[in-house]
Amino acid sequence: MFTKDKLLKFLLALAVFAVVDAWVFTTLRTSMRSNAATVRQNALVLLAKSAPEDPGLRDDWLASVSTSLPGGAAVYLVPSLDDPDSYEVFAADDAVLNLWHELAATEDAQKGLESAYYFENYASPVKAMLSNTQVRLFYAPITDEAQGELLGIAVFMAPETAGSGIERLLIIFALGAFVLFAALSGVARFARDSIVGYSVLVLSALAIVFIIFPLAEAFRLSFTVDDKPSLAIWIDALSGSHLQSLWGSIRLGIWTATTSTLVGFLFAFVIHRTSTRGKKFLSAIAQMPVISPPFSLTLSIILLAGNNGLITKQLLGLQNFSIYGLGGLILVQTIGMFPIAYLTLAGVLQGLDATLEEAALDLNAGRWQVFRTVTLPLAVPGILSAWLLVFTNSLADFANPLLLAGNYRVLSVEAYIQVTGRNDLGGGAALSLLLLLPTLTAFFIQRNWVSKRSFITVTGKPNLKLVEIASPGVRVAMTAGVWAIVAFVIALYGTIVAGCFVKNWGIDYSFTLSNIGEALSRGKEAIRSTLSLAAMATPVAGLIAMASAMIFVRKSFVGKRVLEAVMMMPFAVPGTLLGIAYILAFNKAPFLLVGTGAIIVINYIVRELPVGIEGGVASLRQIDPSIEEAARDLGADESMVFRSIVLPLVRPAFISSMSYTFVRSMTAVSAVIFLISARWYHMTVLIYNFSENLRFGLASVLATTLILIVMAAFGLMRLLVRDTGAFDKTITR
Amino acid sequence: MAKEPVAVTIDHVTRIYKNVKGRKDVVAVDDASFVVNPGELVTLLGPSGCGKTTTLRMIAGFDLPSKGAIRIGGEDVSALPPNKRDTATVFQSYGLFPHMNVAENVAYGLRIRKVPKAEIDERVKRALSLTGLGDYAERSPGRLSGGQQQRVALSRCLVVEPGVLLLDEPLSNLDALLREQMRVEIRRIQKSLGITAVYVTHDRVEAMSLSDRVIVMKDGRIRQIGSPSIIYEQPDSVFVAGFVGKVAFFPVEVQGTDSGYCACSIRGKTVKAGSRAPEVAVGKPAVLMARPESLRLGRPDEGIVDGTVRQNVYLGSSIESFVTTEYGELLVQIDDPAGKHVAAEGERVSVSFNEERVRVLPANAE
Repeated sequence: MFTKDKLLKFLLALAVFAVVDAWVFTTLRTSMRSNAATVRQNALVLLAKSAPEDPGLRDDWLASVSTSLPGGAAVYLVPSLDDPDSYEVFAADDAVLNLWHELAATEDAQKGLESAYYFENYASPVKAMLSNTQVRLFYAPITDEAQGELLGIAVFMAPETAGSGIERLLIIFALGAFVLFAALSGVARFARDSIVGYSVLVLSALAIVFIIFPLAEAFRLSFTVDDKPSLAIWIDALSGSHLQSLWGSIRLGIWTATTSTLVGFLFAFVIHRTSTRGKKFLSAIAQMPVISPPFSLTLSIILLAGNNGLITKQLLGLQNFSIYGLGGLILVQTIGMFPIAYLTLAGVLQGLDATLEEAALDLNAGRWQVFRTVTLPLAVPGILSAWLLVFTNSLADFANPLLLAGNYRVLSVEAYIQVTGRNDLGGGAALSLLLLLPTLTAFFIQRNWVSKRSFITVTGKPNLKLVEIASPGVRVAMTAGVWAIVAFVIALYGTIVAGCFVKNWGIDYSFTLSNIGEALSRGKEAIRSTLSLAAMATPVAGLIAMASAMIFVRKSFVGKRVLEAVMMMPFAVPGTLLGIAYILAFNKAPFLLVGTGAIIVINYIVRELPVGIEGGVASLRQIDPSIEEAARDLGADESMVFRSIVLPLVRPAFISSMSYTFVRSMTAVSAVIFLISARWYHMTVLIYNFSENLRFGLASVLATTLILIVMAAFGLMRLLVRDTGAFDKTITR
Repeated sequence: MAKEPVAVTIDHVTRIYKNVKGRKDVVAVDDASFVVNPGELVTLLGPSGCGKTTTLRMIAGFDLPSKGAIRIGGEDVSALPPNKRDTATVFQSYGLFPHMNVAENVAYGLRIRKVPKAEIDERVKRALSLTGLGDYAERSPGRLSGGQQQRVALSRCLVVEPGVLLLDEPLSNLDALLREQMRVEIRRIQKSLGITAVYVTHDRVEAMSLSDRVIVMKDGRIRQIGSPSIIYEQPDSVFVAGFVGKVAFFPVEVQGTDSGYCACSIRGKTVKAGSRAPEVAVGKPAVLMARPESLRLGRPDEGIVDGTVRQNVYLGSSIESFVTTEYGELLVQIDDPAGKHVAAEGERVSVSFNEERVRVLPANAE
């Protein structure tokens, strides 16, 4: 509702605020500057006092000045005994000497020298350029210890850098206050639904500060060396060895995506397109690895097939076998990620109308022909989609390669080593940005191209018919394959549980309970902090997700699509990059968060929001808008509508988004490994540490604990959103 | 539920939807003005896309006018959000809260208004009995029939005693029989409460049978405002005439427009039509409109135009006879057909009309 009058008043208020803001800012800056000047002058006076009487030490002192005044220098003047107006000049180098000769004749210099001559300090207002640095001159007398005799005069050329960091901060705060005032009062004045206005503001602030800013910082700092723009980091990142790691990541991604899609399709086909028994059980096992904590599958693979593995060493007695490397990685990633392909393809195969296959059979096509000419072509978009999703996940995977890569190099681990091993944050940022390229490409192809080519038609009628298009022999073979994989998955989990009770895996297989006590006592703090961080992030993420979903579905405002895209971005950004970006962005004012629990909680929320928002959006789209309009019409304001109508209606999405956030936060590693501190530790990192130190018993106990917590969370969710069928009927139009 | 009824004023309201993607702006409502008097039920009637629902949504506050003002009871509410307006809407899809039972649904508006608990119970009870839902208070809306859901939606609005009741095609999701019942019931309740109401529909029968006045809209513009009988018998345009009922048109030449009558010639014969639209004048193209009940069949060469009976549809109280003529197919309604001679299908007949009952309209304007 723009009117001229309102606009004028708004501009007036802005002007008044700007004046006050500027006044506060300049006052603070002036007092800070004078403060800083005093401090600097005191330091220079002290420096002058440290000047040696002994002429032999004079050069050393001059040299020491340039280290205590970075970018600055000093001139040591010794008045000649005969003529008080002429001096002997000493300086560390010619540049300084030349500058002094330039300045010496000026009136200001005379004034300075005169002051020093009478034992007075003089801070000159004159600025000069000393090898590209702006310096100010300061004249101080050099006296003997008794301060009775003038030995010489020190002229300092001190660069004006002190306090500029704080000044920058002050500018940020002054501008921030103005932007905040403008935004808030703008919403209050112009928005018809101020609550929506404020929510959009809060979401935008969240998106800018915790998504755009850190990523931009990571990007900027990857082009910065010693505070100067430089391409050095990228030249290094794009050098042969790192490009090899990039190729390593992509190669692993292609392999894993292919095998996972095959396994996923096998499962989806057997479960949804044949009449095999135990479908529920198969489906449950096929989804299990999704929620299993990082390192757990790797851990169990190492226990079974590692250097001291049960199968490789004890049973088969292999000597030169190594699970570490590409092969082991493909195996463990496939087990961990085929569920993604399965879930995607299950939806596709369930959605395919069996009537089509029936029609093909009716037209005298053979079973294999039906599969080849009807089923498979219809499933192609789903297969591509599954492949790309697994590919993205494999590229971003960090936990498995960290333990299992051996000499095989992948980018996510490389970035981690760059940061923790070489303490090179910029390099780590560059490497993880490099990872973003293939990830984002795959993500956008999946989002904007493949997923729009779906042939699934939602008829609303449940598809009860089943057409057996697999011949009995093929069916038996496929079912056997599925059960073999299921047995393997169960064996992997069984191994972890077994690991808890074995004294020293690989060497001493005797039964013990001591692992449990030790792991729980050493991990107590980590368990507590992991649980409390996840518990803090969960409700906040759920609420924000539902509120954003409501705003995205029901409201229209300028920049909605941009905000939506930014909020969805963390879904495609590898955790490693987000973790590195967070330490780069939040280790300095105004957002000094590194080391706090808050940064971890925020990271959880930001990373898990996209899934929650998608769930909320899907569920809101099902709800007739006139339900909310009716509530508005009966007198409820926006927040009341959200609380009393929207939240209860999207309850299933709300709860599942919360449980998703909880589980993902409990099992996070790739970003959180950069953000943990001694006080805020994470169980997954502890599992990693135990595994690295070959304390497999302890790692197993923690992994088992984590699995149990995660399963309990999912069980609770199932309980809370069990029966919503009758309810859904009236929500939809 | 006694409350002083209020008036609704729509004052030169225009609603333009800006279309950002380089396409043309859409004018949903174009400079509409009308007044709904206190206690009156006014219907907005028109084909889909005519702007009637947009107008209603602007009164409720779900949409804002681009230009013009909306006043409820003299107060300019143009900028107020829906929750600050004294209106209550019955939605086409009911908009019942699925997570609340019937009584909770009806109580919602009162809870928002912080009415004391005891009074809420009392008023909810009264509202439910008014709409015949007394026994369904504890039911979930998902387990009610369409007609019952409609009543819940109506009770939910009435219980808050709104100044203005808004109804957005409330009967379109009901089957024909139920629609007729609810039509009568809505009118009965509205009259007994004396509440101001604005009703949106595209069904002309609904509009005719319910309203004190009907506003016919097309393409965002108001075409005519009047009582149902005025709209039906004395439409001012070909569009309104055709939209509110079956009608036959004959091109005519206007010869004179003195007093109420309108002399015009058709096929060389002079006719004195009973009425004319204000814009009709000598020399301007005009048509003569005749409702089926004003048309008569006769022997060939005895009427205005000759034709052949194509089909007779027997409806009991009347017969609809479709006659193919050079003016196209004309529908002639023969009332009380028992004992009358009705021309058989295929027979040659002539069509004439009751001059008192026909009206001359401008031909070009819709």
